[in-house]
Amino acid sequence: MKQREHILKALPDVPGLPTAAVRVLGIMDDPDAGIADIMAAVEIDPRLTTNVLKLANSAYFAGPRSIGNLTQAGVLLGSKRIQQLVVAAAIFPVAGKQIRGYDLAPGILLEHLLAVALGTEHLAKALKYKLPGYGFTAALLHDIGKIVLGTFLEIDAAPIVQLAFTEGKSFQDAEYEVLGIDHAETGALLLESWQIPAPIVEVARWHHDPEQAVVDPMLVKLVHVADHVSFECGVGVGVDGLNYRPSERVVKELHLTTTMLEEVACQMMVALETLRPQLLGED
Amino acid sequence: MKQTIGISDYRISDAPEDELITYSLGSCIGLSLYDRTRKIGGLIHCMLPLSRIDPERARAKPAMFTDTGIMRLIEELLEKGAERRRLIARAAGAARLLENQGAFRIGDRNQVVLRKILWKNNILLESEDVGGTCARTMSLRISDGVTSIRSAGNRYDLT
Repeated sequence: MKQREHILKALPDVPGLPTAAVRVLGIMDDPDAGIADIMAAVEIDPRLTTNVLKLANSAYFAGPRSIGNLTQAGVLLGSKRIQQLVVAAAIFPVAGKQIRGYDLAPGILLEHLLAVALGTEHLAKALKYKLPGYGFTAALLHDIGKIVLGTFLEIDAAPIVQLAFTEGKSFQDAEYEVLGIDHAETGALLLESWQIPAPIVEVARWHHDPEQAVVDPMLVKLVHVADHVSFECGVGVGVDGLNYRPSERVVKELHLTTTMLEEVACQMMVALETLRPQLLGED
Repeated sequence: MKQTIGISDYRISDAPEDELITYSLGSCIGLSLYDRTRKIGGLIHCMLPLSRIDPERARAKPAMFTDTGIMRLIEELLEKGAERRRLIARAAGAARLLENQGAFRIGDRNQVVLRKILWKNNILLESEDVGGTCARTMSLRISDGVTSIRSAGNRYDLT
């Protein structure tokens, strides 16, 4: 358990999200918060504003339109979407880096987070379920614990990999056995310390054990499924491989079929492709 | 020169200095086809087994699906001078999640569709490295047709 203590002690040193993003997350639950509050929070941060506009201009969000400034983005996309894009843009700098501990090349974790957020939206649509406004954001932050373990602490993954692959354990079980904590709990504790709303923290905490969720169990289930679909598509697969166990109960409860999951995979990857040039500065 | 092939993409080359490489094969299927006499080959990274889930997408991006992608790769290689009877086929990928219980079996389905398409086209699968829970990187060297795999810290050739 020594490693657990070490990890918990290091959490306060993890650089937080930009102030603007934390403010936006804070008003996510507030029905009275309008677009003006969001804009006021964002426009003081030029880097964040640039990244929000980059995302807003992707074909997935903007369609054929061109969005020149935040006000226009707010009018065209609506306040919920802008809130989601602010959080996505806020995690760009840190999630876009190489995550050494998990052997994830630069940009790969960011792609995974976006894929899971997009997959969660498409899965909700396929199930005719109305995703709450914070659903996309919660999915974006589900693996934040990997950034902590893999970048700030650079855990030695070798004994975890050894345990997972030789004994057929899921990667997060192996993490728990070796470190005394897994990336899900680490992420949730970090988000909690940032005072992020409970349903978002819960997704990070239970995305591998969706049956434990109590605040918004449906959202946790959706993210759980989208996470596994993303792994199958090879998006965000590092040293952990596909060593994760999808919940049989969730498959049954949501009446998931292979065709449905393949359709979600297809839509998710098509959407991700439209975002990729904005994200990674590719041509 | 290293030529990277993304997810849902393929490439053909007869430039001896080329190495075609594709990363992050999860449940996706990678296939290399190589004509040793003409020294021409291709590598593809297909994501989902059947194009019927999005026929429009399949027309725009045939390599997204194993059925349309493999057909396209074969046709284009033949057009460019490869001979069907000389084609050496090697496959990798089709990894599985733990306790795969039906719904999440994209890898298995990719493998089945690949075999079916190759069989229909009279092409024998020479070797494969499929299944398991590890992701794979697959490469094809155009000078000699050597297909290599990198997975979980190991590197080996498919023979």
